[in-house]
Amino acid sequence: MLRRLITNDLRSNKLISVSTVIFMAVTAMLLGLSVFLFGTLYSSIDSLMKKAETPHFLQMHTGDLQKEKIIDFAKTRSDIEEMQICNFLNLENGQIKIGDRSFDSNMQDNGLFCQSDKFDFLLDADDNIISVSPGNVYVPVAYKNEYDIKVGDRMCIGTEQLNVAGFMRDSQMNSMMASSKRFLVNESDYDRLRSLGSEEYLIEFRLKNGSDIGSFSTAYKDAGLPSNGPTITYPLIKLMNALSDGIMIIVILLVSFVVLYISVMCIRYMILTQLEKDRREVGMLKAVGISRKDIRRLYISKYLLLSVIGCILGVILAGVIAVPLGRNMKALYGEADNPVLIHVLMILGAVISEVVILFSVSHILRKSEKISAVEALRGREGKGRRRNLWIPISVITAAAVFMMMVPDCMRKTLSEPDFVRYMGIGNSQIRIDVRQSDDIGSSTDLLSERIRKDPRVDKFSVMRTGSYKTTLPNGESYNIMLENGDHSAFPVNYIEGTYPGNEDEIAFSILNSEETGLKVGDKITVSRNEGGNIEQRECIICGIYSDITNGGKTAKGCIEDDTPSMWSVMYVTLKDGVSPEEWITEYGSGSQESIKIAMISEYMNGMYGQTIRNIGNASLMTKGVACLVIVVVILLLLRLVIWKERRESSLKKALGLMASQIRMDYLKKLIFYLLAGLILGIISGLILGQRLAGGLLGMMGAKGLKFTMDPVSTFLIVPVLILASAIAAAVISLREIRNIRAYECLNTRE
Amino acid sequence: MDTILKVRDIKKDSILKGISFEMTEGEMIAIMGPSGSGKSTLLYNVSGMDKASSGEVWLKDTEISGLSEDEKARLRLKRMGFVFQMMNMLSNLNIIDNIAFPAVHSDKKDRKEYYRRANELMDKLNISKLAERSIKEVSGGELQRACICRSMIMKPEIIFADEPTGALNRTATAEVMDAFLGINREGTTIMMVTHDSKVASMCDRILYLLDGEIRGELVLGKYIEKDGREREQRTANWLSSMGW
Repeated sequence: MLRRLITNDLRSNKLISVSTVIFMAVTAMLLGLSVFLFGTLYSSIDSLMKKAETPHFLQMHTGDLQKEKIIDFAKTRSDIEEMQICNFLNLENGQIKIGDRSFDSNMQDNGLFCQSDKFDFLLDADDNIISVSPGNVYVPVAYKNEYDIKVGDRMCIGTEQLNVAGFMRDSQMNSMMASSKRFLVNESDYDRLRSLGSEEYLIEFRLKNGSDIGSFSTAYKDAGLPSNGPTITYPLIKLMNALSDGIMIIVILLVSFVVLYISVMCIRYMILTQLEKDRREVGMLKAVGISRKDIRRLYISKYLLLSVIGCILGVILAGVIAVPLGRNMKALYGEADNPVLIHVLMILGAVISEVVILFSVSHILRKSEKISAVEALRGREGKGRRRNLWIPISVITAAAVFMMMVPDCMRKTLSEPDFVRYMGIGNSQIRIDVRQSDDIGSSTDLLSERIRKDPRVDKFSVMRTGSYKTTLPNGESYNIMLENGDHSAFPVNYIEGTYPGNEDEIAFSILNSEETGLKVGDKITVSRNEGGNIEQRECIICGIYSDITNGGKTAKGCIEDDTPSMWSVMYVTLKDGVSPEEWITEYGSGSQESIKIAMISEYMNGMYGQTIRNIGNASLMTKGVACLVIVVVILLLLRLVIWKERRESSLKKALGLMASQIRMDYLKKLIFYLLAGLILGIISGLILGQRLAGGLLGMMGAKGLKFTMDPVSTFLIVPVLILASAIAAAVISLREIRNIRAYECLNTRE
Repeated sequence: MDTILKVRDIKKDSILKGISFEMTEGEMIAIMGPSGSGKSTLLYNVSGMDKASSGEVWLKDTEISGLSEDEKARLRLKRMGFVFQMMNMLSNLNIIDNIAFPAVHSDKKDRKEYYRRANELMDKLNISKLAERSIKEVSGGELQRACICRSMIMKPEIIFADEPTGALNRTATAEVMDAFLGINREGTTIMMVTHDSKVASMCDRILYLLDGEIRGELVLGKYIEKDGREREQRTANWLSSMGW
């Protein structure tokens, strides 16, 4: 009987039943998808890092190695499990070509690498340790699609050639956010090609379980070991691996919460309207002695059935959508370790969304029980106020606008030229990197002199980075990578304070400030190299800035001493009308291989391109979901409004109004509430979205971020999509008006 | 005959102002009075659907007003039957399912027995051919007789009927009253609120309510068809004396 009651009820309320299932399915799909993608990402990264035996501490170094000193240090440490020093042959990108595609505009530090003996293995597509035959090369999988590389293509390095034998996963440098990429070659080829590049060292350590990487890192620095290059630790590698896809997952998760909220809200209105329709029946059931609990159970049974259908549909949809969204993840990090568990978790995610919905159904039913049998039988409404069904249209429109806006604005923020300032990079037109050279100082001097004399240059500044020993106020020693130069020309984004203006001022990156606990106004003693003599000088912290370059632990100053440069960076902005492409070509030709010249936009694209594309995918999906939600909501709520106002519409007809006039009244009202929702959505997107996007991008190190609104998306695409979806749904819903008869208002019986 | 229902000085807000009366087993009484006199309120308070401000209601040895909402619901389900003016039935169930619904819902084990009983009741009230029909496919009189069947499904000790013929035409009213008289003859006690003096004249006793108080009582005794006209006349005269 219960089955018949439910099936007949579903049959007679098709629109409400289908809408409920759609809401439940979309919510289950999004939550299931988020859990699945997150689980897959986490598990596959974890699995890759375990199989590849990623180092816990890695020091990149250029210059004199002092191998014996490193080995001696390793002997004194009981927390080291293994150590190795690997060679990395840095190549000039202009020399690299695969097939007919040149790496000229590639912004990464590309180089050759031989398979390690002990750990930090480079793996093939099946996660096996690759053994390369002479003449072959394995290409980073991140380049496979970007350069459309196929097995069998020829890789040219200058005049030398190698055969692309396959693609490899690099647990350390897989992510485009890692600034280097390794190409795996045989030892004999490495030796043969050694003269084509400059050699760099990767000093790598695997620590014993439970060892503190932070204290190891400090001990390494304190021992005065080679550190002419960035330091990277296991957690940082894991974070970089996770971020480009992680951001997309977080966007989906965010959207799924918004949809869950919309679903609960819509279902609430559906139940309340349904209860209003069923008022007499409920009153009768109460009168004949069916308990409140049993009446509630009748409704819950129906929603339970709908949620089971919604959950199954949601899981199937999530499974289908997860394939394209997870493709990049699978290519980069391989299969997850425990796919069964992840699938179970995905189902669990979908089930949890249904449980939340069912819980809210039960809550709504409990709250609506206040009306007594007598009131219900007499046709009175409960003590609650009359529900305005137009307001939820505005609120849901606002939620849909918010849902569409946030990913678009995040993408816009990442693509904005000004975003570089949050990364710790000056907002210039062109960036020139001088690295891996025996004499960075003189290379920098020569080039900067040439640029300074160039009449086409509008603005220019040189930054030289060196390693400085400092003493913190508590007496502890602390090594910093200090970038010296004129920071006023292309200032980065300062969360607090400002850039250093004289030799007694130093600005810290957020990570350095967090690690040392130093704030603006605190003092630090810096060891300067004055003609070989070490001099101590007290400096004041003048600013804290956001930075994600070089592991995020950097400092800025204006010290002019004799500390050798580890690398230098120049920022150039040309005068109006000068073509930056031509300028780059001119300076690029004939310059040393250690000098890399690129447009900042290319630099950004190289680093964030993948993330921006991922957010783009998520944004596309979000728009689809938001439009679907709007269509269903308008179809449903408008139908409910028409049902509630049926008598009034009938009276209008009795008084001589035409169906088209009544429809137009509804449409006008709908547009008013949609516009109110649009405005509310845009405002909340700007206020709340700024915090959310700021928080998300803050995870990438770019803190204190100002959200950039995408005006085309916000004021054109989103409103057009919302209005088009809503009006299309309204036209369908408003057809019901023609079925209302003029005499209905005369019939007093319900 | 034993007393089945004892109502002592019940008050409800300003509608009922201290009403007391008793019913014996197998009795059928009509509550009459002008609109707003408190007839339906009395029925709802006596049956436990509404909570009286004060006073006592005893169904045999059970004092109703002291019970919790759930206990009252259980009591209504097991020991009382209800028939309303608006023939409230679940629109998504057919006639026989509606009749069996309260019983089957409360006791799933005896499902077959309840359906057998539903068929028997429908047979008795001449609506067995409607069993599988939707509630929209039957007439008002047929639907009200189905409601009477539903009220009888749990073999209640008493049936409360609130204007059961209020929305029916003369023919349907006659059919429904035949049904009530039939089940009353078999021993079921019935308390009925009505506006119809002809319907009231078929009851054993009439209580006249005005401004929340019982203003008069007419004892007619068991209904015999051949005395119908005379009872109608007596009732009309009495009502007229009451100011009806």
